[in-house]
Amino acid sequence: MHIVVCVKQVPQQNSVKINSDLSINADGLERIINLFDEYALEEALLLNETHGGQVTILSLGTEEWQEQLRRALAMGATDAVLLSDPAFAQLDTLGAARAAAAAISKLANVDLIICGRNSTDDESGAFGPSLARVLGWPQITYVGKFNGITDGIITAERHLEEQIETVTAKLPVVTTMIKGTNEPRYPSLLRIRKVAKVEIPIWNAADLGLSAADLMPTVTIAGRVPPPARASGEIIEGASAAEKARKLVDKLLEAQVI
Amino acid sequence: MPQAIWVVIESSGSEGIANISRELLSKGRELADAAGVQLGALVLGSGVATQATEATQYGADVVYLVDDPSMAPYTTDAHVGVAAALAREHTPMLIMTGASFQMRDFSAALAADLAAGLAIDITSLSIENSQITAIRPSHGGNVINTLVFSSGRPAIVAVRKQSFVAAQAQPGRSGQVVTVPMPPITQRVAVVGTAPKQGAVNLADAAIIVSGGRGLENAENYYKLIPALAEALGGAYGASRAIVDAGWVPYEHQVGQTGKTVSPKLYVACGISGAIQHLAGMRSSRTIVAINKDPEAPIFRVATYGVVGNASEILPLLTEEVRQRLK
Ligand SMILES: Cc1cc2nc3c(=O)[nH]c(=O)nc-3n(C[C@H](O)[C@H](O)[C@H](O)COP(=O)(O)OP(=O)(O)OC[C@H]3O[C@@H](n4cnc5c(N)ncnc54)[C@H](O)[C@@H]3O)c2cc1C
Ligand SMILES: Nc1ncnc2c1ncn2[C@@H]1O[C@H](COP(=O)(O)O)[C@@H](O)[C@H]1O
Repeated sequence: MHIVVCVKQVPQQNSVKINSDLSINADGLERIINLFDEYALEEALLLNETHGGQVTILSLGTEEWQEQLRRALAMGATDAVLLSDPAFAQLDTLGAARAAAAAISKLANVDLIICGRNSTDDESGAFGPSLARVLGWPQITYVGKFNGITDGIITAERHLEEQIETVTAKLPVVTTMIKGTNEPRYPSLLRIRKVAKVEIPIWNAADLGLSAADLMPTVTIAGRVPPPARASGEIIEGASAAEKARKLVDKLLEAQVI
Repeated sequence: MPQAIWVVIESSGSEGIANISRELLSKGRELADAAGVQLGALVLGSGVATQATEATQYGADVVYLVDDPSMAPYTTDAHVGVAAALAREHTPMLIMTGASFQMRDFSAALAADLAAGLAIDITSLSIENSQITAIRPSHGGNVINTLVFSSGRPAIVAVRKQSFVAAQAQPGRSGQVVTVPMPPITQRVAVVGTAPKQGAVNLADAAIIVSGGRGLENAENYYKLIPALAEALGGAYGASRAIVDAGWVPYEHQVGQTGKTVSPKLYVACGISGAIQHLAGMRSSRTIVAINKDPEAPIFRVATYGVVGNASEILPLLTEEVRQRLK
């Protein structure tokens, strides 16, 4: 079985700055594999232990993302591909999904794609469903648990806000993982050393046969600011706890909050 | 060319259309009036005909109703397939959905099918000279993005709950209900079982949330103080990750970057320091009350009202005061 895990590199802390051209400045912040993608990768490695085959990491980003791809290889992935091109800088989710779909076709014989439920920086969760539709594959989002794969049929649990849905579908399928029940493994020192020099293929727009129209964003960012400072707050003073409680309720009633 | 604004209606289960749908209908009505276009609604499901009438009472001019057993439970193939076909036929300029998991699954897939612009978890929306602009927070609320949709293709937005005020029903109001026959669709994912999630709490819908953190000292104290105040205020109760990780409170109650994102009318943070990851989940609340013994705690920087003191002492008094005054 060939499983592809889509991995995004994100800053560990979200205390980013905004550049004058409105791009995000994460300088000085540690880069990590998106939290949910680590769960996705662990799930892929567990499935691989049962079914054998390949676990390929697919990532669309700048060349420095290779560091995270190498970490994923050290965790146990068998292959990695980086999609990188200056033309990708302005991509929106649909453009990124088109690029990833072209890469999936190029990889061939992919049975299962696992993404994270969302990235912790952009937080949209749109990539997995977009990829599924571009590929024309079914999608199973918000998977908390893979129950198993038998005769090319996958069974999984979708963990929604208030219910758990058990679904089945015929492979190939695109899935997205929430924080599941698994514990992502640490890369072993031995493997870190083993993959240190592995050559990670980099595919650009031309390799993927993408046209300028494929990459055209449908949404543009016209502004990016830090959150507005909240109207300066008021400390409720009082000689006793009871007085503070009373005054607070006064305020809330006055402002018609309660 | 008459271009409409559409709202995708969700069911609340037992009480007709969901709150989020009423919020979308009110915003949609306002935008449609300003732009001089129709407000349409999609009601997709099984046994949902009454929701179509309801949608007209809440402001829709025209409702496209697909009422068929194969539309329930939700599957991407059926719902997106039907919505995409209708959108191709009627070419709405804007389609609004909620930002639940199911609707994120839906809106992203629909946007891909229509090659539409997409913005998920938006908190504000406007149209000026037919240019659609949305505001969406990212990076745990540390970045507020203004997104402009390209003209000439539909815009699809998934809206965070409680971003807009819900519409009131106008019982006399009516609109056109167009019953659309179910088109042939191959459903590739089968839902073979559904079970309620153990201990599920609907924090996103709560108008008032009282949350506790490590400053409550132990689980017993949390359960003695936090649900009581929440109940007195008619709200739900949440928690910081610190006490979820400590096993005091189930994960379902966690607010923050790796928990739930909420924007209630009132958020009361008790014994919570206000770490950036916690703020990510509650910063867009309309009014924030912080109770913390440390006057320097970062939570006070986002609080509308702050009380410096011992939460274990203040909370019982506050609960009693609320009970008396709201009687
Ligand atoms: C990747 C990542 C994701 C995270 N996601 C989340 C998330 O989703 N949600 C979340 O909440 N956190 C999250 N965190 C954790 C976050 O960084 C904080 O550690 C956590 O929010 C702290 O919880 P707390 O405020 O309850 O505890 P503390 O930070 O320990 O604060 C306790 C507060 O209680 C006050 N206090 C103590 N005694 C009293 C008293 N008697 N009366 C009144 N006040 C008192 C103290 O002054 C202090 O301010 C995340 C962290 C990481 C790294
Ligand atoms: N640039 C990318 N490269 C590879 N995978 C990605 C990329 N962006 C998003 N993903 C995948 O899509 C998921 C959801 O991301 P997002 O839509 O940004 O919230 C992530 O958890 C990844 O699995």
